[in-house]
Amino acid sequence: MTISDEMLMAYADGELDAASRARVEAAMQEDPEIGKRVARHRALRETMQGAFSGVLNEPVPERLIQAARGQTAAPKSAVVDLSAAREAARRKNSAALRWQPAAIAASLLLGLGLGFLAWHGSGGLIQPGAGGGLVASAALAEALSTQLSDDRSQVSVAVAGLSFRDKSGDYCRTFSLTGSAASLGLACREGTDWKIKALAQAPRGAANPGNFRTAGSEDSPVIRAAVEASIEGEPLDHAGEIAARQAGWAAAAKR
Amino acid sequence: MSTNDSAENIHEQIVTLLPRLRRFARNLVRNPHDADDVVQIAVERALLRLDQWRSDARLDSWLFKIVRNAWIDEVRARARRAKILMPEEAGEQVGEATMEREIDRWSAESALTRLPEDQRVAVSLVLVEGLSYKDAAEVLDVPVGTLTSRLARGREALQEMLRLPEGEAS
Repeated sequence: MTISDEMLMAYADGELDAASRARVEAAMQEDPEIGKRVARHRALRETMQGAFSGVLNEPVPERLIQAARGQTAAPKSAVVDLSAAREAARRKNSAALRWQPAAIAASLLLGLGLGFLAWHGSGGLIQPGAGGGLVASAALAEALSTQLSDDRSQVSVAVAGLSFRDKSGDYCRTFSLTGSAASLGLACREGTDWKIKALAQAPRGAANPGNFRTAGSEDSPVIRAAVEASIEGEPLDHAGEIAARQAGWAAAAKR
Repeated sequence: MSTNDSAENIHEQIVTLLPRLRRFARNLVRNPHDADDVVQIAVERALLRLDQWRSDARLDSWLFKIVRNAWIDEVRARARRAKILMPEEAGEQVGEATMEREIDRWSAESALTRLPEDQRVAVSLVLVEGLSYKDAAEVLDVPVGTLTSRLARGREALQEMLRLPEGEAS
């Protein structure tokens, strides 16, 4: 019976399936030399594991912790962005949002939207728009522009959900964000931007891309209310979404 | 990753992994400060690419991969003006006069630095960080067979350098 050294190594590393494991163990019983070789592999594994553990007990430099928390990207300009966003959102909200649930959404938008800016830093999924308010960017903008609501093959931090047209003919889509701060939101197409209309914290476990339609907007009264207040007609079906996507989500003619 | 996990704050998960990312980086980069630089670059990069993280993949493997790629980029950018790279040629001297000259037994740390890069990274991921062959192969973007043979060669060289007593550990 021949047992390669690689096989013994894999055995020592716990990488063999049951059949191969049995083979090695049988061989070890027959030949003590094989047992010694396995022991050497195990001893090396233990040595290497222990040798580098010193760094694990060192205090982690603050700069790395800040980097991991997304707090390194130009904190000063972030402050400016935040106040600009707050102002813009306030103007936008007082002027345009008239329904009561949306007012709740707006206050959430202020708090959470700003939180997002802080969390995501320069790679933010939500950023102040040129014309005021907050707009989707990066992966969120990508998701809103390209994902179909029934296509869950793309796993992304941002997932686009229900699509519909609002009362002024603009296309709107709900979305969910996973990761740093799981959220549900509503964005509407304005020009080439996806303007964030509402944003709410996702209930625990609700931001699962796989069942957004049931667990997404349904799970957030704020987003559901925002959708109900702005939707005109029925949500887009699959073909409707494809057509809208092909048209670049350009606003349909006002009714 | 379960839905609940992915809904948790990924920033804090990364913070928790920082000690291991630093350990891995130090096995790539000799100078601890440079190693931390690589970790910082990698972490910032990871946050910008969260959408590329497959939520069914292990976060640590994914981050190791970004650390390694950040290191490769840094090496390319800095090799000429700084010596953050481990002496590559050293790995080829294993078994030659240099190692037998004065040192009876290498420490595990210095032995690892003597390995060629591909073996060093394979050993670091599997033996030090405890990744499976499959996960380590994914970090390195190589087939499992390639990972296995690098690991086997690296181990063989380490066994020689460390002169682990045969059979006594059993």
